[in-house]
Amino acid sequence: MVCVRKATMDDLLAMQACNLLCLPENYQMKYYFYHILSWPHLLYVAEDYNGRIVGYVLAKMEEESNECHGHITSLAVLRTHRKLGLATKLMKAAQTAMEQVFGAEYVSLHVRKSNRAAFNLYTETLGYKIHDVEAKYYADGEDAYDMRKQLKGKQSHHHGHHHHHHGGGCCSADARPVEAPPESKSEAKAST
Amino acid sequence: MGASLPPKEANLFKLIVKSYESKQYKKGLKAADTILKKFPDHGETLSMKGLTLNCMDRKSEAYELVRLGLKNDLKSHVCWHVYGLLYRSDREYREAIKCYRNALRIDPDNIEILRDLSLLQAQMRDLTGFVETRQQLLSLKPNHRMNWIGFAVAHHLNSDGSKAVEILEAYEGTLDDDYPPDNERCEHGEMLLYKVTMLISYIQLYSVLDLFDYKCNYISSSWELCFDAEIQNLLFSQLSISLLEECGSLERAIEELHKKESKIVDKLSYKEQEVSLLVKLGRLEEGAELYKALLSINPDNYRYYEGLQKCVGLHAENGLSSSDIDQLDALYKSLGQQYTWSSAVKRIPLDFLQGEKFLVAAENYIRPLLTKGVPSLFSDLSPLYDHPGKADILEKLILELEHSLRISGGYPGRAEKEPPSTLMWTLFFLAQHYDRRGQYDVALGKIDEAIEHTPTVIDLYSVKSRILKHAGDLAAAATLADEARCMDLADRYINSECVKRMLQADQVALADKTAVLFTKDGDQHNNLHDMQCMWYELASGESYFRQGDLGQALKKFLEVEKHYADITEDQFDFHSYCLRKMTLRAYVAMLKFQDRLHAHAYFHEAAAGAIRCYIKLIDSPSKSMVEEEEEMSKLPPSQRKKMRQKQKKAEARAKKEAEVRNEESSASSVSRSGKRHVKPVDPDPNGEKLLQVEDPLLEATKYLKLLQKHSPDSLETHLLSFEVNMRKKKILLALQAVKQLLRLNAENPDSHRCLIRFFHKVGTMTAPVTDTEKLVWSVLEAERPFISQLHEKNLTEANKNFFEKHKGSLMHRAAVAEMLSVLEPNKKPEAIKLIEDSTNNPAPINGALGPVKEWKLKDCIAVHKLLGAVLDDPDAALRWKGHCAQYFPCSTYFEGERSSVISNSVNSQIAKKPENGDSSHPEGGKIADFVSSNGKLEALKDLTI
Repeated sequence: MVCVRKATMDDLLAMQACNLLCLPENYQMKYYFYHILSWPHLLYVAEDYNGRIVGYVLAKMEEESNECHGHITSLAVLRTHRKLGLATKLMKAAQTAMEQVFGAEYVSLHVRKSNRAAFNLYTETLGYKIHDVEAKYYADGEDAYDMRKQLKGKQSHHHGHHHHHHGGGCCSADARPVEAPPESKSEAKAST
Repeated sequence: MGASLPPKEANLFKLIVKSYESKQYKKGLKAADTILKKFPDHGETLSMKGLTLNCMDRKSEAYELVRLGLKNDLKSHVCWHVYGLLYRSDREYREAIKCYRNALRIDPDNIEILRDLSLLQAQMRDLTGFVETRQQLLSLKPNHRMNWIGFAVAHHLNSDGSKAVEILEAYEGTLDDDYPPDNERCEHGEMLLYKVTMLISYIQLYSVLDLFDYKCNYISSSWELCFDAEIQNLLFSQLSISLLEECGSLERAIEELHKKESKIVDKLSYKEQEVSLLVKLGRLEEGAELYKALLSINPDNYRYYEGLQKCVGLHAENGLSSSDIDQLDALYKSLGQQYTWSSAVKRIPLDFLQGEKFLVAAENYIRPLLTKGVPSLFSDLSPLYDHPGKADILEKLILELEHSLRISGGYPGRAEKEPPSTLMWTLFFLAQHYDRRGQYDVALGKIDEAIEHTPTVIDLYSVKSRILKHAGDLAAAATLADEARCMDLADRYINSECVKRMLQADQVALADKTAVLFTKDGDQHNNLHDMQCMWYELASGESYFRQGDLGQALKKFLEVEKHYADITEDQFDFHSYCLRKMTLRAYVAMLKFQDRLHAHAYFHEAAAGAIRCYIKLIDSPSKSMVEEEEEMSKLPPSQRKKMRQKQKKAEARAKKEAEVRNEESSASSVSRSGKRHVKPVDPDPNGEKLLQVEDPLLEATKYLKLLQKHSPDSLETHLLSFEVNMRKKKILLALQAVKQLLRLNAENPDSHRCLIRFFHKVGTMTAPVTDTEKLVWSVLEAERPFISQLHEKNLTEANKNFFEKHKGSLMHRAAVAEMLSVLEPNKKPEAIKLIEDSTNNPAPINGALGPVKEWKLKDCIAVHKLLGAVLDDPDAALRWKGHCAQYFPCSTYFEGERSSVISNSVNSQIAKKPENGDSSHPEGGKIADFVSSNGKLEALKDLTI
């Protein structure tokens, strides 16, 4: 029904459009460029039979901290394309790449406290645990769960439970667009 | 730097530079002023002060100071460099490059400046310059990894892949055997994959380039010497050598890949790269095995299935025989046993299976998905509606399921009962099916039944809204979308869908209010704009255009255009970033993406929209301004004065309010660096200034050029080019447009219109007088014989000929009728008869969609406008409307009996919600103004010369 594959440069505009349709946390194109030009392995899309992008995962590596770990910046699936297990497939693909390419220890994400559908997906299907609560994380004042899933040493198996049925709504992990894409270094430098 | 200063001031100067780098602008400014107190003419200090002010949003002072600084010290590379940085900050890259070059003349080995220059060269795609600069950087600092990589990438971009590979290998030669250390494995692996990609791609590039060279050589040689067989032989041998090289290179690429396997961390890309090489080398069995391995990693990637099919020689591209189909069927059955959880293995066979086998496979596919209630099932199957016969099979199949579910509560031939929801999802599917076939009344019946069955499922309302839109009742569609939205206020998707419907129904104010519910700061315009929400801006622009508000329409279209300019700009910071990060494959892909950015659909829509606005502006100069003046002049002078004063007061109030709002929002955001984060007041909130352009056609031409460059295969591009150039009286450019239209689709009614209109116009021109005119005439005379449509025919005959060819099609008849009235105005009754004699036949039985009527709602609306506005026959238009109201009973345009404009009709009950009257654009309700959302071309047709 839906093709799940690594995102290419040509998918970025459609990913942005998908994000704007589904989620209240939005980003400018530059932020998508920043992701694909830093961690091209971690962006996946779901493309339907008409060639339309109906879901995506946007993820990154946190490289400053001493424990190398991945982070899900944003995940969305169009409401019209739920009940296909797309969110699960996208998340698993990104997690696998984090582990294989970057050797990530764990992966983290933020989710709105009120987003039960997404919360269930993360805890029940994907095995995330609440690590912390971040008060007023979102612009509208809502709290976020800071969730984590351990990656290393845990082999992921297929248990024949691949179509996850989570109820309605769009599952979303939204990060606030906090960190800025790179600024070219030279801008800050006059000749010395 | 700061050389001419005494030690104390020289230290202060260093402080300015440091403060600039750390963005502590106030501190830097203070230091600069201290120096300037003692040495008011010191050039470099003046320049640095200017650069600092530039970062504090004091642009004009900045330029003044930097220029003064330079004047005082023309021999300083610092002053030139700063001048370049200033230009760069304003995106004036050409000027910036000039400044950097001047700086380098003084200090040729300055690494900072060379690096800055290289970034601009990459941005501007000055590739030869980029290679030179990168070479210089490498020879100055050969111990930096980034300089090797930069030099290689420069060569690659400059189409010299072999050189790039050499450089990377030379760089690898400088590394120890145990390289890379653990923390650089990723980067190194990326570099290796990049190299392999290049080995594959440059050879393809090469063969193309060789052909190109061959052509160039051929042309230049045919000028100088006569065609020489010897030269030809020589060139052919060169070509074959490059073909040999190509194969050699592929072998080399795969060897290289295997050799470096352990060092490539990204195993997935490794395998994907390997399989594509195997296929290119014709090692198909190995390729098939590898594709199967990839499928076991991700059985949902359709590209792997395509690859596998190619490897086993069963690809649809080559056409499939019936034995091929059987083999494919068997292949997918065996794959299906391996990847039980993959839906792809079950869906793909529906594309190639036919007849009975298709029926069985479709039924097996559909049943469990209906039981599960997968909302996207119809959209998943909808591509099959373009395959002859399959829509009929699907209809029969689903109707049988429906029947059985109603009678027995289960699927045919099954004892188990289905849950009640299965019937609802079946009705949901059928509603979309009939919608797709244009049988809107049946579709509405099915969806209503589904809603009655389970009134709480939001998807049902969304689909009903879409059916109503297709059936022609946009107001009712918007109301239903709003109902759906209210059922889950936390879901942005249904909010977006509702906003879209409201804009389609020209309820702009209501749409704005609804969209704002999901934007952060409550200021929806800024937020939607800042976040580059282009679908919204386009839909809103289209709505304003339909309503005749050209200023607002233009504003929206140009906003989208601005997003594309910003996206182009976005690449700047990544020129250096990617060289550090080593994400070279992604970087090169990004540059290529940028080069074709303006071919994207949203840009095309925005540019076309803007051009239409400019054309309309020329055809009917600023309505509001003219009207306003007229109204004013009717008033007695005393009242006129009062009106003016009132207007002025209102303007001043609005301005003040906007300023207060801005101050409030910026009060908290003054950063410690002293940079003001003030959102500028929108000086033109309604786009009125945009309408005051001196030469609208000149503006239109700007966007037209981008369309011609990036969307040369779009009919719309050349239709617009025709309209613009006819108005500019650029006869030859209009001819070009006509030729392009004929090339793309000579049978299209609009192509025909342009052809006839062009030669008709040319025929009515006076005989040429000036040399230019004579030249134009001679070109026309030379070109006309090559247009087969006009071969030995006059225009009336050509028009008749077109009619004979396309008698059965409404839109073709309409075009012929319109041209008839252009060519022979006295034959208008005949023209109208041509249209009225059209019959709405059932579409051909063997057509993909099956038994449906041919006429489309948007076509009928276009014909109605033609009869009324162009052929100017209100009676005929009225008769047409009467017919169409029967074909399209839901259409508000034709005032069909079910549409919401007819009081007490079915849809008027739907649309009777208070907020629908709440539009601040009373024009929006006028049905005569509305054109279906995809009726851009109709909108264009109103614009005749």
